[in-house]
Amino acid sequence: MGAVNFGYGISAARGMDLDRNDLGPAREIADEVPEFRACIACGGCTATCTAGNLTSFNFRMVHTLVRRGEYAGAYREMNKCMLCGKCRLVCPRGINTRGVVMQIKRKLGDY
Amino acid sequence: MDGLTFYSGFVVPFIVGTSVLFAVIVYKYVRWFARLPRRDKLSVRRGMFSGATVAAAWECLMESLLHRRIWRVNPALGYMHTSFALGWFLLIAVGWIETVAYLGGRFVPLQGHIFFKYFTTELQHGPRWGVNFEAVMDLLLLYVLSGVALALFKRLRSRAMGMRRTTQLRMGDRVAMASLWFIFPMRLLAESFTSGIHGSGGFLTGGLGGVLATVVPAGVMPIAELGAWWGYSIALGVFFVSMPFSRYMHIFTEIPLIFLRRWGVRGEVGREKSFDHFQLEACSRCGICIDPCQMQRDGGMTGVQSVYFIRDRRYNRLSRRMADSCMACGRCEAKCPVGLELDTLRVGSRYTLNNTPSNDRWAYARGGNGRSDIAGASLPSETAQVGYFAGCMTLLSPRILRAMESVFAAAGEDVWWADREGGVCCGRPMKLAGEVDAARDMMKLNEELFRRHGITTLVTSCPICLRVFREDYSLRGIEVLHHSEYFQRLVAGGRISLKAGSERLTYHDPCELGRGCGIYDEPREVLRAVGELAEPSETREEALCCGSSIAGNAIGGVAQTLMGRAVGRAFEATGASCVVTACPLCKKALARGTELPVLDLAEVVERHLMTAADSK
Ligand code: SF4
Ligand code: SF4
Ligand code: SF4
Ligand code: SF4
Repeated sequence: MGAVNFGYGISAARGMDLDRNDLGPAREIADEVPEFRACIACGGCTATCTAGNLTSFNFRMVHTLVRRGEYAGAYREMNKCMLCGKCRLVCPRGINTRGVVMQIKRKLGDY
Repeated sequence: MDGLTFYSGFVVPFIVGTSVLFAVIVYKYVRWFARLPRRDKLSVRRGMFSGATVAAAWECLMESLLHRRIWRVNPALGYMHTSFALGWFLLIAVGWIETVAYLGGRFVPLQGHIFFKYFTTELQHGPRWGVNFEAVMDLLLLYVLSGVALALFKRLRSRAMGMRRTTQLRMGDRVAMASLWFIFPMRLLAESFTSGIHGSGGFLTGGLGGVLATVVPAGVMPIAELGAWWGYSIALGVFFVSMPFSRYMHIFTEIPLIFLRRWGVRGEVGREKSFDHFQLEACSRCGICIDPCQMQRDGGMTGVQSVYFIRDRRYNRLSRRMADSCMACGRCEAKCPVGLELDTLRVGSRYTLNNTPSNDRWAYARGGNGRSDIAGASLPSETAQVGYFAGCMTLLSPRILRAMESVFAAAGEDVWWADREGGVCCGRPMKLAGEVDAARDMMKLNEELFRRHGITTLVTSCPICLRVFREDYSLRGIEVLHHSEYFQRLVAGGRISLKAGSERLTYHDPCELGRGCGIYDEPREVLRAVGELAEPSETREEALCCGSSIAGNAIGGVAQTLMGRAVGRAFEATGASCVVTACPLCKKALARGTELPVLDLAEVVERHLMTAADSK
């Protein structure tokens, strides 16, 4: 700990330790909506999002974090979704994105 | 007196079974009825002394006894149901008359009617009132037995009757079904033994009795006779006890269901309700709802159709996957012979499983002082007669928006665009997902928005929005129109004129517009004005779903694509050069399923708008 801190460290808030994260819930979600594994994080869903149009809600960010086991705040964020289904129509991987929203809400209510 | 007694040890199972059946049924019905909301009870009270009661009685006769609607779908299945229902009913009714014919007004206990043959061997046989009752009763028994034979055959080879095997049976069903199959063969045997001993009986029981008397030693006959009557009574008793816990509960439950429905009681869209019990237990598990379902037919999703859903919900084993795997397309509902509100039941279960408290979720859309900050809405000064709500899906289809713009311009309409710069969803997708509380909030937001702009007509291009505006919004003073209705009025009123063409078009009925809102003719009228209309084989009330319904919460991309392709093939078979629909979601879904161009009605109208140059 005696090392000099030059200010180049990864800030704690953004640090993501995939070995420590509990990927169980992420896996359960992907099991319910198997296409979700094929997401390329293109952001099409966010670009078209009805809720994202009105607020800072960013669907791609939340579901990408969820896939990596970062669940904090995901449930609260998902409550902004209106389930309108636009994202599902634009998704190039044909993912049931509404299903993903609903699964995140079901499985991550405690985080 | 005639010295008849109507008691023997073997009647006990029957008496016990009947008492249990009666007690359970009364308990269930009274409980369900008591839990109906006051509004429903009032409408029952009002309906009871009106023509609705007569209509209900007639419907009971046609459906519960004759099963007319099942006949229409599948005659073999219709015969089976009728032979049990009508045959058994007549056996009881004619049996009653027979008792009176032989014994006059004398009191006869229940078991005396049911086991009439056994208790009245000392009576003079032969016709009464000029009617050969023995022959009539034998004929009826034969009729029911033919149904039993058919039912057995169906169990063994369900495909042969054009039906799918409906269910793996539960315990209650298994017991009830087995005992039901025993009832009538045992009755035949019991009556035949008695006839054989006393030389009575009609062509069937007398004939079989004669044969039995020759093959069975005379000493054994009375023992065999009593054994057969015991068997008959036990089969009846077991069936009656298991009936309320099996699918056969539908036999009785269809009757209160029909009456309640005629008196104006309905399920509540979006929530479970006590009335649902009547619907769930009136399902005969006939399986007619399986074949029309495209999830089954084209999407490769089996085991989630309405019959399975109803079974699981009735026995409290409903999974979320089951509740969510349905497009609420209404195709099965249109075919269900019992007329169950299958969409309503499914969506209601989603509420129970999925609804989460709203938590003021849409505060961001409401802005600081309860006013919405969303674009368009923040310009309360802008008012117009006509408001146009594109809906999320239309916003994804700029061509439809452009077409609407052209049509509004051609008609000289002063329009306020409600959600062009982004708005809140109509709320129906949320509602169909079971999140009724959150949906309610969104609806309020939009209601306020519409009111603020002083519109008197609200036009939308999206049937999903249309339906929720009509069914759930309170928009007094604002007429809600789908753009197809709006176009039809513009044309009829001479506000726009369309150029006739010769193109062969085919039209896809969106579920929410057709079965949902009953709008079939307006879009067709507009299309006939601009081209030749070719109908696909399944159309109007029977139209296919595009496969991408917003209600399909748990339907994967593969199933959607498979269903979309199947619909596409149906349109290609019409020989049309273009598929027209009137829903932005259907348009996108169909475009994935066919090579043909897919247009929204608005685009077609735009293309055929008569301009000043044309009319010269
Ligand atoms: S549009 Fe589809 S593939 Fe792209 S980020 Fe969203 S979910 Fe993933
Ligand atoms: S369904 Fe939800 S996440 Fe998808 S576009 Fe609509 S509001 Fe955004
Ligand atoms: S829901 Fe209707 S069609 Fe389906 S099995 Fe039940 S009664 Fe038959
Ligand atoms: S509503 Fe449509 S998708 Fe749902 S079970 Fe019935 S036919 Fe199938």
